Amino acid sequence: MNLARQFWALLRMNLSGIPARLGLVITIVIGVTCAVGVLVSMLALGVGARRENMSNASPNRAILTSIDAPSPQQSSISKDIAPMITGLPGIRRNAQGKPIVVFQMFIFIQARSKVDGRQSGFPVIGMSPGLRDYQPELRITAGRMYNPGLHELIASLKCTRLFEDFNVGAKRHLRGGDWVVVGNFDLPSTVCIVFGDADTLLSAIGRNTYNQANLMLESPAAFADVQKALKADPTLHLKVQHEAEIFEQNLQQLNGILSFVSYFIGTIMAIAATIGAANSLYAIVDSRRRELATLRAVGFNSTPIVASIVLESIFLAIPGALIGALVAWLLFNGLLASPLGASFHMAVTPGLALLGLGWALVIGAIAGLLPAVRAARVPVTVALRAT
Amino acid sequence: MKYLPLIWSGIWRKPGRTALILLQVAVAFALFGVLQGLKSGMDRSVAESRADFLFVGPADFGGAPLPMSYLDRLKSLPGMKEVSFADGFLGTYQKPTQPVFALAIPPGHIWVDAIPTLFQITPKDLDALEKTRDGALITADTGKKYGWHIGDRIPFTSNTLKTDGSGTWSFQIVGYLTDHEPGESGLIVINYSYLDEARAQNKGTVRNFYAIISDPKRAAEMSESIDRLFANSSNETKTASFRENAQQQMRSIGDLDFLIRAIISAVLVALLFSITTMMMQTIRERTPELAVLKTLGFSDRTVFLMVVGEGLLVCIAAAFIGLGLAMGVFPYAGKFIPGLSMPSIVIAFGLVGAVIVALVSAAVPAARAARLPVVDALAGR
Repeated sequence: MNLARQFWALLRMNLSGIPARLGLVITIVIGVTCAVGVLVSMLALGVGARRENMSNASPNRAILTSIDAPSPQQSSISKDIAPMITGLPGIRRNAQGKPIVVFQMFIFIQARSKVDGRQSGFPVIGMSPGLRDYQPELRITAGRMYNPGLHELIASLKCTRLFEDFNVGAKRHLRGGDWVVVGNFDLPSTVCIVFGDADTLLSAIGRNTYNQANLMLESPAAFADVQKALKADPTLHLKVQHEAEIFEQNLQQLNGILSFVSYFIGTIMAIAATIGAANSLYAIVDSRRRELATLRAVGFNSTPIVASIVLESIFLAIPGALIGALVAWLLFNGLLASPLGASFHMAVTPGLALLGLGWALVIGAIAGLLPAVRAARVPVTVALRAT
Repeated sequence: MKYLPLIWSGIWRKPGRTALILLQVAVAFALFGVLQGLKSGMDRSVAESRADFLFVGPADFGGAPLPMSYLDRLKSLPGMKEVSFADGFLGTYQKPTQPVFALAIPPGHIWVDAIPTLFQITPKDLDALEKTRDGALITADTGKKYGWHIGDRIPFTSNTLKTDGSGTWSFQIVGYLTDHEPGESGLIVINYSYLDEARAQNKGTVRNFYAIISDPKRAAEMSESIDRLFANSSNETKTASFRENAQQQMRSIGDLDFLIRAIISAVLVALLFSITTMMMQTIRERTPELAVLKTLGFSDRTVFLMVVGEGLLVCIAAAFIGLGLAMGVFPYAGKFIPGLSMPSIVIAFGLVGAVIVALVSAAVPAARAARLPVVDALAGR
């Protein structure tokens, strides 16, 4: 009898014995379910945050900041060099033939959270004229656009969901008196975004520098042209980054924490599940000692025995992974989570389910290996004599 | 007590199996310990942050800095113990990827004895800084990273321009400070007077004030009265105690409690199933032995208690190992998550949890062992 046929015969035997050992089998399945379920649910946080944040990044948009600023918040671009930035090559022009460059500034203000009633900070983003050209996907859902020169703001739907006083008509106290929220808009992001007119905001707070300049490129390839032009003129003291890069940078801290925690906890749970599964398989192998010894006595090779038990263990881990991913999907997919001041929908994706399946296969393989080797190594005579 | 040897030999009947159960339970409790330690570490860092220490900053962060003239108005508020301030600027050393933050402080013993929550400076180093106008204190980490030594002159490039229009600053290293939050960007401490004199813009302003009040209980009230003092001026303030800020930071971590509870429940469910089935298996294999015990006169109750005793002993031992493991990884994990700690309440919780897990999972197998009909069991039926 060749090894492959022995292997299939053994595997069929192993699997047909499952109903008789239901308790032990369920233990393996539940252990893997919990480990995979926790891992997938926790990773769904990071995946959701990234999906919501990156969905809006366009390769046609580029951001200029001061060369030494670790983040746009610390960057400053003086109004004097604005004409030089608009004169850079590779910038797309709008219907009126003007280059699409929007200067942006931030100030941070406080708002009362709807969740816990506490004050928390978030940025108000001042934009120089041209927001509509730069972000055509911005969709006003209520009210209207702000007017430059007036104390008017528009707030994203996320703001109205997270904080109080962001509906149309609400007044926000800022420097220079009350600012009226005149519109709400929809734009994918994990945080609340408030837009106003940059120059009006700057004069209200007594500052005269922007934080960054946003460029709409003619094509993604024009990025290199801008880069070259900036290198050629070091007096500008500016660097250019893809929009996606800035988004990624903003996400870095959140994602770093989330994935560290997810994999840390996921690994510990996987170890526990592996140990539990190995123990159950030891018990299964023990209860089949005579049966396995008989098989070897009649000429079955030990390699197929080992392989069949490892494969049985992997087979048992698979339903665990599927149930775990399914439970995570049922409980958490689309759930609004707001850790670390961000707010996004968790996303249990097929990719995550596959990752969970991968972990389960590894758990199954490792857990099955030792019991399988033991099954194949028990001396035949001893095993046959056992009661 | 006299049954202890029996329980002991029951536990070690299959050493491999017991070792694996022990390991599994220990891993689960290690996870419990780390998660709970994380939570109590956060609670503690909030409790330890000072309530009498107020941070007075501009109402809109990123807005114009505060005028220095506020210092005297703050000092004259009733209930105020000490007021100081700080300013600073960002620069880079040699390369844009090597950021340095220069924190500018005024002279005063307040940095030595009242504000060591931010960073620690010895009186000797502070003295050296005050004596050298363009002096700077560095952290040991930054010094090692860039190869700086006392007496060196270090140049920075910054967007904060000097009166001569250049953005190049240089400082002479005169001493060291200890930073409590070792960050990636190098922190240096410089003299405020030098910064204010040399910079082209924002002269006579500060980034924020530090106010220490005499009664920590009045922190919220004092914060409000400070903000009221400057309300409707061109530089409104936002004041909060360090404890309030810490609380807010912790809150932003959000649904942590829920998450921890969900994970711990998942762990417990898996654990209960695992232990129960393993014990059932053990009881099944030991049917003849248990029958012999009963024949010798052991009552159903004694057999029940013996099986529960085995479960208890294993679970409690494993919980100790697990919590010990968790404590062992704290110094390492503390690098990522500061303030990890395991107060005795967590250990107590863990042990109570272990007892509950043992009782619940041993109940069914123990009942089965207790109800074993002797005749059938001996006959191997």
